[in-house]
Parts: sequence; C-alpha cells; structure tokens
Amino acid sequence: MKLAYYPGCSLKGTSFEYEVSLLKILEAMNIEVKEIPDWNCCGASAAHSINHNLSVALPARNLAIAEKDGFESVLAPCAACSNRLKNAAYELKNDDILKEKITDSLEMPYNSEMSINNMLEFLIGVVGKDKIKSMVTKPLAGLKVASYYGCLLVRPPKVMQFDDPENPVTMDELVALTGAEPVNYSFKTECCGAINSLSKPDVVMALTGNILYDIKKHGADLVVVACPLCHSNLDVRQKEIERKYDEKIGLPVLFITELLGLSFGIDPKNLAIDGHMVAADRVLKKIEGLTNQQ
Amino acid sequence: MKTVINEQNRRNFASKVESMLHDKLAKCYQCGKCSAGCPVNFEMDYTPNQIIKMTELGMEDRVLNSKTIWLCVSCNTCSTRCPKGFEVTGIMDVLREIAEKKGIASKTEREVQMFHEVFLDNVRSNGRIFELELVGKYKLKTRHLFRDMFLAPKMLEKGKLKMYGEKISNLNQIAKIFKDFE
Repeated sequence: MKLAYYPGCSLKGTSFEYEVSLLKILEAMNIEVKEIPDWNCCGASAAHSINHNLSVALPARNLAIAEKDGFESVLAPCAACSNRLKNAAYELKNDDILKEKITDSLEMPYNSEMSINNMLEFLIGVVGKDKIKSMVTKPLAGLKVASYYGCLLVRPPKVMQFDDPENPVTMDELVALTGAEPVNYSFKTECCGAINSLSKPDVVMALTGNILYDIKKHGADLVVVACPLCHSNLDVRQKEIERKYDEKIGLPVLFITELLGLSFGIDPKNLAIDGHMVAADRVLKKIEGLTNQQ
Repeated sequence: MKTVINEQNRRNFASKVESMLHDKLAKCYQCGKCSAGCPVNFEMDYTPNQIIKMTELGMEDRVLNSKTIWLCVSCNTCSTRCPKGFEVTGIMDVLREIAEKKGIASKTEREVQMFHEVFLDNVRSNGRIFELELVGKYKLKTRHLFRDMFLAPKMLEKGKLKMYGEKISNLNQIAKIFKDFE
C-alpha cells in the first residue's frame, strides 16, 4: 500500500523534533512514506473557528491531491492536522452539497475513500505491535512514562473513531512495548489550552499547569505526547508555569516517536531530543544506567 | 437590559443558527453537563448551556458579544459528554462565524479573534503557516510586542524558530479557495 505523509506546518517549524524522530523510526522499520506534493495548511483551529466551509475546503485540497496521486492512506502525525483532515473527510462524505461546491472550486474530484491515520493509529494499526516489539533492542525497564493525549486525537469520537474519548490507552500500550512503565493519572484528555497559547497565556498556563502537576504527583520521569500544540504548551511554557505557581516541575516532554526511537537503540542526537526547551539529560542518563544494568 | 424580544427576530436568529449547525436547539434540556466539564468555564461570562438557551431565546446581541464564544478552545469535551448528542462545540463555531461575518469585534477577547484572522491571512499568502511571520504580525496587531519575547532566544538556539517560511507552488488554487468560501 502506498502511504502518504502529511507533515503539516508545525512539524516544519517549532515541532521539527517530531518530524526528525518519526522519519528516523520509520526508516529503521523500513517503512516508506511519501510527502503529499505541494500540500497546504489544514486551516487548524482558526479556519473552523470563523469559517466552516474554509475549514473543509483547505484540508480537502490535500485529500484530493493524495487521491489523484494514487494514495489510499494518509499519515498525519500532528493531532490537529489529523483532526482537521478527518473532519473534512467526514463532512465531504455526509454533505453532498458542500462536497460539490468544494470539488468544483478545486477543479479536482474526490471519492471520499481516503483513510486518515494519526501517529498512534498508524503505529498500532498500520505498523503493528509485533513489528514494533521486534525493534526494541534497548528496553526502557524502570522508566516511568505518562502519556498525555489531549483533545484532538480522541474527540469528537464520532468523527475521530479512535480509542476511548475519556480514557484512551493506545499511547500507554506503545509505552509498554518499549519496556517502560505507563503511569496512570487523571488529566490524560484534559485540554492544555491549545491554540490560545499566544492570545490567552494565563488561561493556557492554568490548564497546562494542572496537567503537569498531576503527572508529577504520580511519579512520572517524563511525559510523552503525539501533538505539536500539546508539546509546545507542556514544554515551551513549563518554566513560566513553574515561576507562576512557584513549584518546580522539571518534566521533559518527548514525542512518542522519540521514546520509541530510544528503545530501538537510536542515538538521542538523531532523534532531535536536544531540541526541547526542558532538557531531557537526566532522563537520558537514567536510560543509559538502566540499559547498562540489563 | 432589553427584556422584550421580537418573536420574528427570535425565530430568524434561532433558525439561522440551526441551519448552519445542522442540529436542533430544543434538543438541549439544560442539564449543564457541558458547562461542568468545560476546561475554560472559569473565564466565561455565560456557561455553554446558557449560550444555547440564550440563542434559542433570540438574545442575539448578548450571545454574539459574549466572552464565551471566543474563550471556547474547541476541545470538544462538551459535545462528547452531551447526553443528547447536541453539537455544543459546533454552536460556538457557528456563533463565532456569524459574529465575524457581521464584523463584530469582540470587546474583551479581541486578541483571540485577531489570532484567528492573522492565522488565516498567513495561510492565504503562503499556503502554509510561516510561524515567525504569524507571531510577528499578531504582535504588531495586538501591540503586545514584548509578551513572550523572553522565550525567543532559547527557541532560536534550539532551532525551533525558522527564519524562512515555505510557500506552496499552486498559490492560485489557495486564492481561489479563499475567494469561493470567504
């Protein structure tokens, strides 16, 4: 099966670590993906917030190009992109009038058959647990990892059709495959404030603070995410949150692809782990110590 | 406070929202579950269930000028938990879109609204988001030039801020999408 790759804007900018690490682990597993030619921004939260039709038309262009190029399946690692692509595919399937307007505007047909996968769906569903397990050469036994899912991977469930919207477990299963211990806590799917990071920083810090302090309380060594926006809020804003609430957090936030890469024995430098604002040195040292003991 | 609402105006507004939403306002029986689970309820002037009822009652001005519609981050917790399957997140999108088309500038949450506008302008001119340009233009527009600036040096050092943006080749098609749907 030909697999299309839709990176989205964040993976080419502030969340470059996500792209670097995911391409590295796919290469290690011999899985080939091809970037959708001349892809455009999905419109993210801005489009659906103020213009519904635009929020369907922008992702639709990418889906139509992928279809024209003979792809049947798209990997959209950014949670927001996968959410918008899935929403557009859902609307195109259920609203014939809007679909006709959009395909007329694009001057491209679209058959509504594209299967869209977020990163976790892709790893579990397309790659498969057995394959991933066979790649783990440096088990991370002894490491405690909290999986933070946020909103966009699981909600709205009728459109996302992925995992449980209140208590998802897919990322925890991936964590367990690396040999690390998944940490249970309360804020797995609570919102981090997402797009309002720049416009309402105080609100975002309150929400993100709740998540980080709860993870800390449950004894995790680090957090893993599968969303660039979640990563930005949890990582980039962490120091400021510590200052605001006058309590140390010190939790490195890794993309799930980075954690998998570490367990595959890939050098942290090649996974761009030094690109995060909260240094992961302590965790990397702990991993080194753990794997030496084995 | 205007307490008397013209019945025809009430109907017009409610049915306009319903047709854009593809859902019925009367489905909501005011249990308040949406508002209990809303992560940003503490900042809102009206809770989500109040917004639904006010829309049904035709309180157009209040709803379109509320803080609530702009504070909603579309996390979808409300719609996911709604026992009636009402599109609570969807109604916020619809109300924002109506406010935007009417040219109503939010008095209290103008920055949220501006961010959306600047974001879409960036998509229109590049086809993709060029983050540095987006943040720069947003800061110029809101005049919050120095807020968050302390993050910039370290982000730059980490390679998170790209100096150049990518433009897509077929910008004509993007222009056409905006022309047809804006």
